[in-house]
Amino acid sequence: MLRYDSTSSSAGSSSGSLSSSSSSSKPPQQDIDGLLAGAGYKVRSSELRQVAQRLERLETAMGNSPADFSQLASDAILYNPSDLACWVDSLLTEFAEPPPTCSSDFIVDPVNNQTVVNSAWTAAEPHTPQVHQNITYDEQQSLDNQLTVVTAMEEDSGIRLVHMLMTCAECVQSGDLSLATSLIDDMQGLLTHVNTVCGIGKVAGHFIDALSRRIFQGMGGGSVNGGSAFENEILYHHFYEACPYLKFAHFTANQAILEAFDGHDCVHVVDFNLMHGLQWPALIQALALRPGGPPLLRLTGIGPPSPDGRDSLREIGLRLAELARSVNVRFAFRGVAASRLEDVKPWMLQVNPKEAVAVNSIMQLHRLLGSEQTRNSPIDTVLSWIRGLNPKIMTVVEQEANHNQPGFLDRFTEALYYYSTMFDSLEACRVQPEKALAEIYIQREIGNVVSCEGSARVERHEPLAKWRRRLSGAGFRALHLGSNAFKQASMLLTLFSAEGYSVEENEGCLRLGWHSSPLIAASAWQAVPAWDNHMSSS
Amino acid sequence: RVVPLNTWVLISNFKVAYNLQRRPDGTFDRDLSEYLDRKVPANINPVDGVFSFDHVDGATGLLNRVYQPSSRIESRWRIVDLEKPLSATEVVPVIVFFHGGSFTHSSANSAIYDTFCRRLVNVCKAVVVSVDYRRSPEHRYPCAYDDGWAALKWVKSRTWLQSGKDSKVHVYLAGDSSGGNIAHNVAVMAAEAGVEVLGNILLHPMFGGQSRTESEKRLDGKYFVTLQDRDWYWRAYLPEGEDRDHPACNPFGPRGRTLDGLEFPKSLIVVAGLDLIQDWQLAYVKGLEKCGQQVKLLYLDKATIGFYFLPNNDHFYCLMNEIKGFISSDLN
Repeated sequence: MLRYDSTSSSAGSSSGSLSSSSSSSKPPQQDIDGLLAGAGYKVRSSELRQVAQRLERLETAMGNSPADFSQLASDAILYNPSDLACWVDSLLTEFAEPPPTCSSDFIVDPVNNQTVVNSAWTAAEPHTPQVHQNITYDEQQSLDNQLTVVTAMEEDSGIRLVHMLMTCAECVQSGDLSLATSLIDDMQGLLTHVNTVCGIGKVAGHFIDALSRRIFQGMGGGSVNGGSAFENEILYHHFYEACPYLKFAHFTANQAILEAFDGHDCVHVVDFNLMHGLQWPALIQALALRPGGPPLLRLTGIGPPSPDGRDSLREIGLRLAELARSVNVRFAFRGVAASRLEDVKPWMLQVNPKEAVAVNSIMQLHRLLGSEQTRNSPIDTVLSWIRGLNPKIMTVVEQEANHNQPGFLDRFTEALYYYSTMFDSLEACRVQPEKALAEIYIQREIGNVVSCEGSARVERHEPLAKWRRRLSGAGFRALHLGSNAFKQASMLLTLFSAEGYSVEENEGCLRLGWHSSPLIAASAWQAVPAWDNHMSSS
Repeated sequence: RVVPLNTWVLISNFKVAYNLQRRPDGTFDRDLSEYLDRKVPANINPVDGVFSFDHVDGATGLLNRVYQPSSRIESRWRIVDLEKPLSATEVVPVIVFFHGGSFTHSSANSAIYDTFCRRLVNVCKAVVVSVDYRRSPEHRYPCAYDDGWAALKWVKSRTWLQSGKDSKVHVYLAGDSSGGNIAHNVAVMAAEAGVEVLGNILLHPMFGGQSRTESEKRLDGKYFVTLQDRDWYWRAYLPEGEDRDHPACNPFGPRGRTLDGLEFPKSLIVVAGLDLIQDWQLAYVKGLEKCGQQVKLLYLDKATIGFYFLPNNDHFYCLMNEIKGFISSDLN
């Protein structure tokens, strides 16, 4: 069961325990206990007492049946530990004794002579998952916290190189292109003396190239990444193999989609960027093994048109259909060729109102952000029609980076630290040519962030905190990824990757990073039904 | 209640979460533990006067998180110049901090410890290096001590942590709970190797012994902590088959060793009056005194464990003052 946050601000319809906050005169954001926030927990001051009481009940329950508790602990799926009130409630639901009105916490099923939980109690329990407004209090703070993790340099040349890179970027921002050009020359020279094994040294060369391209093209930007769709797919595939970021994205999204499709016989996945369809064999196989049998699966894959007459989308669809057939999953594929996501219209997807829809976006939404913040910008349009499809789930994976700031220097600095961390992580990869091609893949991203502008700059990454605000504002609410997804992601890392990667839970989302720096964030969303939406329209 | 409501909620929540993670058979649900632990990344941008960055040991993957006052940063580019010492003239203390968690829980990047270290920087005008160590039950004694010792040697050898006219790293060891135990043991290793440590700050350090003391019996289960969980953590940390009189647990017990004649640093030992293991901590203080070592005891009558996580009580401020005084008395 997936858990969600209600974005409704008036939760008075649920139990009386929220009545104090709905009658509070302070807006909820300011009511958050600041000290607990510093410890990573979000609790409203007005709710502290209730949370404390429920913790006490929980402790009593734990004390009464410690053996059961231990067993249940390993089976339970937990969500969003930062939201203490919700978390304690979910534990109470799993473990606690019923309120005094019930005679016993377990009844014996007379037919099977098995002990079952008193299901009548759990259904009627008035304190089952509280719905809380998305808390936005410290998102700005978490935004700032994500700005950088420094690479501490212990070499003279390394520091000088970074200084020069920054100075050069500042010159570019202020328009002093002649100084910028001479700095490029100096840096090329310096590069030969720098240790290119460690993070900054390795990635500096790419940043020098990108800066140089930017300077010599003028500010108009251009098509830097002239790679064909075919090339991009190859690079993507090697990036997929060389490091766990994409595997994590696919794995986590599939897990959430699988859960969202539970109980549905007709399901439809819309993939915003099919590539080689790497994500889908695992989902097809998981659906094949579903208790009760697989649903009818439709997959609509969006991708760029093939220039040479090949219908690459269809080829991939055929391969997936072959796989589905081999595991007895009824499958239908449709390819939608579009050079840009914003060119896709919902009617092209042919969504049937009776089917459960999953919209899957792996590092695509940021491409819609565009340079102007106009009213009907592509992101608004697309989010709006996604909402119109009323998907059971929308899985969103994005780079955990702030590469869409208006100021060039800020963007440049962010990118320098982000990609040096990513390159650091790539050092752990031992297979070639995967590693070399993965580096080119990343290099192209760097090139786009640094040397492109306007519509050519598509790599407009924004951090999770910003996506949360944006998606909530567009009428979506978060579906929380739980402890089971976390555990499985951790296991995946152990199996497929070197030491050093870590998964972290962040308010219902999962982030994968290199050591303690998150680099990629996965989240899941659901459209708020129109009649439920109490949010202001702006 | 003897603690403010938000502190009570925080520590009770830990208690519940930790109960979920410990299994009766002595194994530990590490995945669940990592899932539940609230972590924060380092931040090169100063927040409230402090910035931080991580150094990761390539071989072990262990993290050292360095916190510095923001006056140190090269403000334009957010680069830390690791070529220069902290100061050529003044002494800037470097506190090597070992986080608590009964040898099993938490990390240097846990939110509660990140916040605490930041406060330490501001109060003491010091650099703080928060150290990750391998945790039990996956890694037993002496792994935590070995990692602590490695971290101390790393800190001592950083030219950019040196200060003062004597150009050396002015190190203090500090830790809470198991971190305090680690600080003691690392200090012993340092003393034996002739590595200078200027002081030890132990915040309700985790010690114990085979017998049951009066405070353990009186306070068992009363303020968040039970004897049962203490026993679990010792069984997870000590070598299998050992009992709690092992010197790692009971340094001045029947199998303990004397520190007579050792150049051991002066110690500040903080004992919370509602901590059930206080008798062992007080015995530790006595043990130090008997060896002729310099020790100051700060006994906080009505404090519970974890009183220093939130700055919402007198004990917190008292503690900070004491630590500040303990360090600054060396600066003159």
